[in-house]
Amino acid sequence: MLTYNLRLAWKSIRRHPVLSTLIIAGIALGVGVSTTFITAYHVLASDPVPGKSGSLYYVRTNSWGAVDNPFREGPPPLLSYRDAREILKNGVPVRRTASFASRMTVFPPSQKSQERPTREGVRLTTSDFFAMFNAPFQYGGPWNREADAKPEAVAVISAALNHRLFGGQDSVGRTFRLDDRDFKVAGVLAPWRPRVRAYDLVVDPLAEPEAVFIPLEWVGPMEIRVSGSQYNWRSPEPGEEKLPFLDRLVLQESLFFQLWVELPDEARVKAFQSWLDAYVAEQKKLGRFPHRPDNRVTPLLALMDELRVVPPQTKALAAISLLFLVVAALNLIGLFLGKFLARASTVGVRRALGASRWTIFVQHLVECELMGLAGGTLGVLLALGGLAILNRVYGDGPDGVPFFQLDVPMIGGAVLLSLVAGAIAGLYPAWRICAIPPARHLKNQ
Amino acid sequence: MEFGPIFRSLLRNRARVVLIVAEVALTLAIVANCMSLILDTRAQLARESGFDDEHMALIRSTPFAEGLDKQEVLDQLVDSDLETLRAMPGVKAASNTTLEPWEAGGSISAIRLPGTRDEPMESQFYAADPSTFDSLGIPIIQGRGFTREEFEHGASATPTETLPVVISKSLADAAFPDGKAVGRELASSDESQRYLVVGLIDHFYKPLGAAEDRVMLTPGRTASFDYGSTYLVRTEGDPGALLPRMEKALLAKEKGRFLRLRTVVEVRDEYHRRDRLLVGTLNGVMALLVLVTALGIVGLTSFSVTERRRQIGTRRALGASKAAIVRQFLLENWMVTSLGVVLGAALAYALNFGLVTWVAGAKLSVLVVAVGAAGLWLIGVASALGPALRGAQVPPALATRNV
Amino acid sequence: MLKMESITKIYRTGMVETRALRDFSLEVEEGEFVTITGPSGSGKTTFLNVSGLLDSFEQGHYWLDGMDVSRLSDREMSRVRNEKIGFIFQSFNLIPDLDVFDNVDVPLRYRGLKARERKERIEKAVGMVGLSSRLRHLPSQLSGGQQQRVAIARVLAGDPKLILADEPTGNLDSGMAREIMDILEQVNEAGTTIIMVTHNPEHAARAHRQLHIADGRMVDLERIAPFPLNRTEAVTRQVAG
Repeated sequence: MLTYNLRLAWKSIRRHPVLSTLIIAGIALGVGVSTTFITAYHVLASDPVPGKSGSLYYVRTNSWGAVDNPFREGPPPLLSYRDAREILKNGVPVRRTASFASRMTVFPPSQKSQERPTREGVRLTTSDFFAMFNAPFQYGGPWNREADAKPEAVAVISAALNHRLFGGQDSVGRTFRLDDRDFKVAGVLAPWRPRVRAYDLVVDPLAEPEAVFIPLEWVGPMEIRVSGSQYNWRSPEPGEEKLPFLDRLVLQESLFFQLWVELPDEARVKAFQSWLDAYVAEQKKLGRFPHRPDNRVTPLLALMDELRVVPPQTKALAAISLLFLVVAALNLIGLFLGKFLARASTVGVRRALGASRWTIFVQHLVECELMGLAGGTLGVLLALGGLAILNRVYGDGPDGVPFFQLDVPMIGGAVLLSLVAGAIAGLYPAWRICAIPPARHLKNQ
Repeated sequence: MEFGPIFRSLLRNRARVVLIVAEVALTLAIVANCMSLILDTRAQLARESGFDDEHMALIRSTPFAEGLDKQEVLDQLVDSDLETLRAMPGVKAASNTTLEPWEAGGSISAIRLPGTRDEPMESQFYAADPSTFDSLGIPIIQGRGFTREEFEHGASATPTETLPVVISKSLADAAFPDGKAVGRELASSDESQRYLVVGLIDHFYKPLGAAEDRVMLTPGRTASFDYGSTYLVRTEGDPGALLPRMEKALLAKEKGRFLRLRTVVEVRDEYHRRDRLLVGTLNGVMALLVLVTALGIVGLTSFSVTERRRQIGTRRALGASKAAIVRQFLLENWMVTSLGVVLGAALAYALNFGLVTWVAGAKLSVLVVAVGAAGLWLIGVASALGPALRGAQVPPALATRNV
Repeated sequence: MLKMESITKIYRTGMVETRALRDFSLEVEEGEFVTITGPSGSGKTTFLNVSGLLDSFEQGHYWLDGMDVSRLSDREMSRVRNEKIGFIFQSFNLIPDLDVFDNVDVPLRYRGLKARERKERIEKAVGMVGLSSRLRHLPSQLSGGQQQRVAIARVLAGDPKLILADEPTGNLDSGMAREIMDILEQVNEAGTTIIMVTHNPEHAARAHRQLHIADGRMVDLERIAPFPLNRTEAVTRQVAG
């Protein structure tokens, strides 16, 4: 019966080309617009570290030392070097990492030395970083924990940088110069473009990952400055500028570190939280942390919400676009109604020949859903166009993969939307046509 | 006079009425909220920096070569770069400053009147040189700018000294409501540093935190190995045309560095990119929505005309003029659209409430709803015009003909 | 075959009630060919609608083929229409988008028959009305008489027990009308009960029994000739064979 209904629907669609085009265009517009904006929302709001986000927690505490506390809604979003280093020593989390971003000069390997060096984004972090945020490796892997402590001159580089420096070959063990020091490649990432950089929700969550990752402890020996947000409350005292960089860093208490811990179960979350509370209480005794303690261990997804990582306009647009689809579908009710009632006599004949009301209802609903699906298919194409426009602003990833892309769940969603639109537009007309008494239109045509 | 019969006829065609009312109402609700978002965003886009944006370029110079990591060398490089730039034809002024109009970053600090214990004020902070004001294309409206000596001394000033500063008028108004800012003192919030206001600039706008129109400029050269230095250049004509020559000239002086040259208009466009996209998108959604709704009304009205061809024929036979038929359909549509508009206004506020509460956005203004309602009214009635005119063409003879 | 007892059918339009059938009773034997005449508005069409289960009624009882069909659900009524009743209309009522084959196919689809059986039935039925060469023609490409033959083929393919014909010759010229009457007679001779509404006295006269409806009541219940001889023979032959 379904094939029969589909055939009837197809005939009916072809019989009224203008009307059918209007209806399909209406659904296509509705589905296209809503798929575009729901995809945009979905891409930004979906779990950035699938399977792991539940056990990743962001650590904040209020170390602000000035009397005036500008952070009214909670602790500062970043940590000082001093606290980050202490918290990293705690053994409760199964993994932990602190990081900050800088910009440094990358010099091509010696045989290519006639090329100009480039300025690259560099993230200083620890070896656990890569496993915690599912960074995919093409060659090699993260450095080890000894390299963290020493620190060793090892680096993980992006696929794009590996392509530029080493022609895309397996460059593990080869060296390149970063500012004034040679670094050995420990690993090369596969092309990696998380839509939201989970590890950098505070400063620049929508940017591309950095080109170079090196052990955090290079911050002192190489005197690396942060590029991005930092908060300072302390004015340096006279003569302080003559101290070694690392001592100044500790004294200065600049806040620019983001610290994540991996706590796989509730017991560890509790244990870590109470350790953190104890740590802060102890620091208070030393004269630090003058403000009311506010130590937060926040789950990743909750932090995304709190920091409004997804631009609120994206949500508003997704909501508005769904309403748009509803209006488009409502508009089609009238068209379907006209179309169906125009063939009331044919329906009367079918009823006389033994079609029940239900059969007629299904026949017409199938027609609506067929047009819905046709519109939905076109709508997906429109959505591709819409996303291409959005991508002009958000840009492509290092691997040339556009920022917003339709994935299988979203295409499935678009199909579902087109079915819903077909149902909204078709239910009432189909009901009306099947409810007409069969005898009414048989006598005269 | 025709209201009664039309109203009763509408009651008998409930489905059509409900549909048009729902369409018009939902459309108005969406359009009003889109318009509100657009106006909000456009207001952001329309804010002016107060500077001569169209004639400015930003140049960032970041050194990498060894030997450039010595402060004296870097300082000399700044001075010679500025000389090079000023010597170029078409360049009006060039300065070394950390104030980069429309650039997303910046720095904010808390300040207060010395000796007070109220909440400190937040202000943006940038370093400037004597030509910065000329480079921005703005006058000092009170007091004076920086002297060469203040600039040279700035970088090596100790925290115990009082620094001369130029501040924006809105910061002056906030700190000194009596209007006499020049010659008065301000301090960092912990009072470790004191500032003496020597001059005022009229207007300043750079969206950054809560201090978008407040700025405090301190004298001093900014050149460092890690962060490099920034030059602000003002030109006679379009600065874009001069950028390649500037790059060449600067690289000829010192090639162990990265240069990034942009016009301020480029920087501003980059800053506005997402907002522009939002406005464009919302405009598109609104246009499509109105189009779809208009089509829907055309469809429903045509359908109702077709259904009533016989009735129209009979009316015509009984002496109704074509104009009377058109009037009947328009009146009918007007009544339905009005109902939709009224409901839509209520729905617009409900949707706005939902958006403001759960998502984002500003409160809906009455004017926006009124404009949207008027627009939809026109569109609703205009959409009915075509089918109504077609209905009027039904010949009176149709009444007597058997179908 | 068909038995109606005291059926009353009321149409309501707004405040007005019209009694289209009043206390209407009728019995038709299996194999009969009955014609119904009556002035316009007398209730002929209502009678056909009620007997064809296209319309419900307020009072009375109706048995069809031994089954009480007075109060059936829509689905059950549809099934009875599909399996036991065949309709022939004045305006043919073919579905304009469908070709001959597909038109005849419609009731068989609703019966849920297998493709192969449908094909056999369709080809046989269309053959019986002599249109085998027109299987892929659209109704608009056929003459009126041909269209009505397709409508009859549509009935025959379903192999109903009862055929209800509403002025089947009303839109046809006399030559074509006669052709149609001939086919109907053949079908009746093969055992199918036919009830036909007609204005044409000549066609009415070809039936076993002529009934007259006026003002919603059966006026003349008298059998004009209870099974004329020649026809009785035909029926017995059929039964015997």
